[in-house]
Amino acid sequence: MVLEWLSENRAIVAAIIILLLASSFLVSIIYGVQQTRLREKDQVFGDPERTVGGWFWSICGVSVLLLIWFYFSWGAARAFFPQAANELCQVGKLHEAISPVTASLAIQSRYSKSKTLLVRNSKQLRELKARLPVDAFLENDKVRVLKVINNTQKLINMMANPDFVGQKTIREIEKVKSRFAAITNELKTPLQSWSPSQKALQQPSWGISEPEIPMLPISAKGALFDLVSSEAKSISNDFLGIRNLSPIAKDLISETKAMIANLKKLSSASDRDPRIVKTRADYMKAVDRIFKRIDDGKIFPASVMTDIQGSVRTMLQQLEKSKGALSIVEILFFPGGDIIKSRTQCTEQGPGRWLPKPTDVVATFLTLANPDVENGGGYKGTTLLWWKWLPISDVVSLLVPDGLVDLLPGDYGTLNKQGNFQPNYKDWVLLFAQGDVYLGALPMLDGHIWDSLFRVLVAMFFGVLLGVPLGIYMGVSRFCKSFFDPLIELYRPVPPLAWAPLILTIFGIQDDGKIFLLFMVAFAIMVISARTGASGTQLSKIRASHSLGASDRQILRYVILPNALPEIMTGIRISIGVCWGTLVAAEMLAGTTGVGFIENVARTVSDYELIWVTILIMGSLGLIFDLMMRWVIARLIPWRGKG
Amino acid sequence: MKRFTKNIVSASVAAVMMGGAAAAQAADSVNVAFFLEWATPNQIAKVDKAYDDAMGVNVNWTNFSTGVQMTEAMLAGDIDIAYSQGLAPFITATQQGAPIKMVSVAVIYEANDCFVKNDLGISSSNASELEGKTVAVPLNTMADFAFRKYMQALNINTSTMKIVDQAPADGAVSLADGSVDMACIFGGDSAKKAGEVGTPIMSSQQKRDAGIGSFDVVSVTEKFATENPGLLRTFLEVTHEANANWTASASQLKKVASDAGMDVSTTKNQMAGFIFPTAAEQKEQFFGPKGVAVSAAESLGLVFKKPGAWNVDQKISKVITGEYLD
Repeated sequence: MVLEWLSENRAIVAAIIILLLASSFLVSIIYGVQQTRLREKDQVFGDPERTVGGWFWSICGVSVLLLIWFYFSWGAARAFFPQAANELCQVGKLHEAISPVTASLAIQSRYSKSKTLLVRNSKQLRELKARLPVDAFLENDKVRVLKVINNTQKLINMMANPDFVGQKTIREIEKVKSRFAAITNELKTPLQSWSPSQKALQQPSWGISEPEIPMLPISAKGALFDLVSSEAKSISNDFLGIRNLSPIAKDLISETKAMIANLKKLSSASDRDPRIVKTRADYMKAVDRIFKRIDDGKIFPASVMTDIQGSVRTMLQQLEKSKGALSIVEILFFPGGDIIKSRTQCTEQGPGRWLPKPTDVVATFLTLANPDVENGGGYKGTTLLWWKWLPISDVVSLLVPDGLVDLLPGDYGTLNKQGNFQPNYKDWVLLFAQGDVYLGALPMLDGHIWDSLFRVLVAMFFGVLLGVPLGIYMGVSRFCKSFFDPLIELYRPVPPLAWAPLILTIFGIQDDGKIFLLFMVAFAIMVISARTGASGTQLSKIRASHSLGASDRQILRYVILPNALPEIMTGIRISIGVCWGTLVAAEMLAGTTGVGFIENVARTVSDYELIWVTILIMGSLGLIFDLMMRWVIARLIPWRGKG
Repeated sequence: MKRFTKNIVSASVAAVMMGGAAAAQAADSVNVAFFLEWATPNQIAKVDKAYDDAMGVNVNWTNFSTGVQMTEAMLAGDIDIAYSQGLAPFITATQQGAPIKMVSVAVIYEANDCFVKNDLGISSSNASELEGKTVAVPLNTMADFAFRKYMQALNINTSTMKIVDQAPADGAVSLADGSVDMACIFGGDSAKKAGEVGTPIMSSQQKRDAGIGSFDVVSVTEKFATENPGLLRTFLEVTHEANANWTASASQLKKVASDAGMDVSTTKNQMAGFIFPTAAEQKEQFFGPKGVAVSAAESLGLVFKKPGAWNVDQKISKVITGEYLD
């Protein structure tokens, strides 16, 4: 219930969090500066003591990071201006409605569409004229083809000439212009008191449900834009219907059309070489194509275009004015993107899309973390992190291979005469080995995070268990160094992903393959770091202990190992980090569970919230590990850096 | 003034966040996304620059490896038209609110196969034995969709199965190794490998009878469709012209094969399974009332929809339109 309430009111929750973050940012800076002043005189530059403490700077850093996240994900906008998105959606509707008009004017581009069409098609006509196939047409046909091309060119120029614009077209353009002026006036009218419809009020607020932004206007300003946009849509449709076809142009078009039809008939007559027929057909098709681009009368003289352009510009300027405070909010709080109205919905495009708001990420995380898998919790039927009863028999079956039972003397049971199954002792043992006997159960962690953690931990365990002794022996023994060095150095530089296909074939799809992949990563790092640690031991220490009568074993245990420990610990820290990095690749091989699996699936559907949840989970698990390791290091090798 | 400030803000955001700021579209070029190793007749038009000639603009072709990447590029403003985007990535994108729409069917092909390991002795007649088995499926792809459809047709409860998310190549390997019992595969090479050790759970005839098929779509950004409907119409017209002129002659195959980056025999085999419907057929069968496009998209949408997501059937039909096919 509490969670639901929080989810419904995430804008308010975010507002409170942002204010808290801002104040903790300020307070931590003030406190930090004070502390620095206090200690300034006691400490020398370079003294490691200078880095001790300073939690307030951590708070400062984290607050800055979160504030930036809130800002660029438009989380701050949603927190403080929850209606802005809805109003911008109405503005988006208006922009969508007039987009056919603006696309043909020089409003978002340098030139108007008429200019582009005119220049482009004239150029193509010139090129077409230049490559008129000489031998494909008879002399008098050639004249006709050239006439068609010239007519088309004439048509283009006629359309671009203001003297040839028909009265009907002028009237229609005047009408569009005056209608734009009308909606400009409409935008100017002061806002009246207006109450949203019941249906609009029932819409879920911004970012709560799947259509991100409520479509129906919920404020008076939004209602005005909505009204204007529906009017603009009908103007756009009218505009699209305008054809610049004066009676003279129409005559020219029908004349040219007939000529093209005739020439086409000519090209299909197969009286000559089929190759020539084809050349002729291709050429006529190209001519026809350009003619067809022109004959719908979509080229207008510049003066006509400037008129409409002026009225649309005025309208857009008025829109900015009418937006008032909204445009300031848009500039300041919606960095790097826009709210776009598409066919069915308004969506955030820009960082708002690929950088989900912190509160939404937390909400997605909580849905995932809900252990109630039956009711929408977890991911793909598995919880995020929970516990379950692990039957002991499962562990037994893992440890006792089935094949062992086959080696026992005697036969398996068969069906007896009564048609019942007569089990032998061997069948019972098999049941035991297969884990089909109830032996009690243990509570055990479960879920995606645990599965990933388990893989990393087991890999690390074996990596340390095998890598550290080998590394140390490589540091002290000529045989070990020379024997293992080529092997390890040969496989170490190979990226783990390169092993992936092999591992799938060798180990199959179970956990062991993934663990082995991670183990290979951890092992190499552990060997290198242990070896560096062992070979870096000061010779004087070894000599001293030797002359004091220490045995080889004692030198190893009491001199070399402690000296190698700092390096080994650093090795563990590094390899845990790299293991997390490799996990996503490992779980891509055969994904059933795990954080990397979630990420892989989320990527295929561009679910950014889910992707960020997995990134944060992996980041925080890595952080927790590192903090633990630092604690262990402080306990185990307190002398580090003080020698 | 406002534009200017906004530009400054956007520029700094792009610099800070390293995000792909939408590049302004040059008016005289159209950017089209396509797949390599996916042979279609319109590649002849592509190579011969028939698109450029007919549309009167430069047509730039960029190859992609997945449909999801095509969507991302369209949202970033780098691509206007995605030719032969899979239906699955198109639907998941629209479910995430991407402003794109489907304007045509690019190619119809047989639904991807799910191969059952031969030594299990399971076929469609005793398919219920699949319950409790392990299946390799590339999640959220057309193969996934086909898998769910097969299981529905064969009346098998997928929740009893262990579903492993594997790329087709990996799935084929796992099937051969016996670590999975069934693998759902797309792509020629992987399907060939899986076919060595397994048999499709449903034959081509059974698939047709059950009405399970796949098609790729031509999708465009809403911006491009509203601003340049003429160019879009011509693009589709040239595509259909290329399809109509397709005779699978040796010279045509060679041209397509070299553009698709495959050898001629693979191209021939691949194209043998393809159907390229004409504009009239599409309008009648796919985009009419009760058309295949909407019903397939909706059932796909239901398979992939997030729990608690919006009413797919109401929205999906609105982003599928045959109006540019004339």
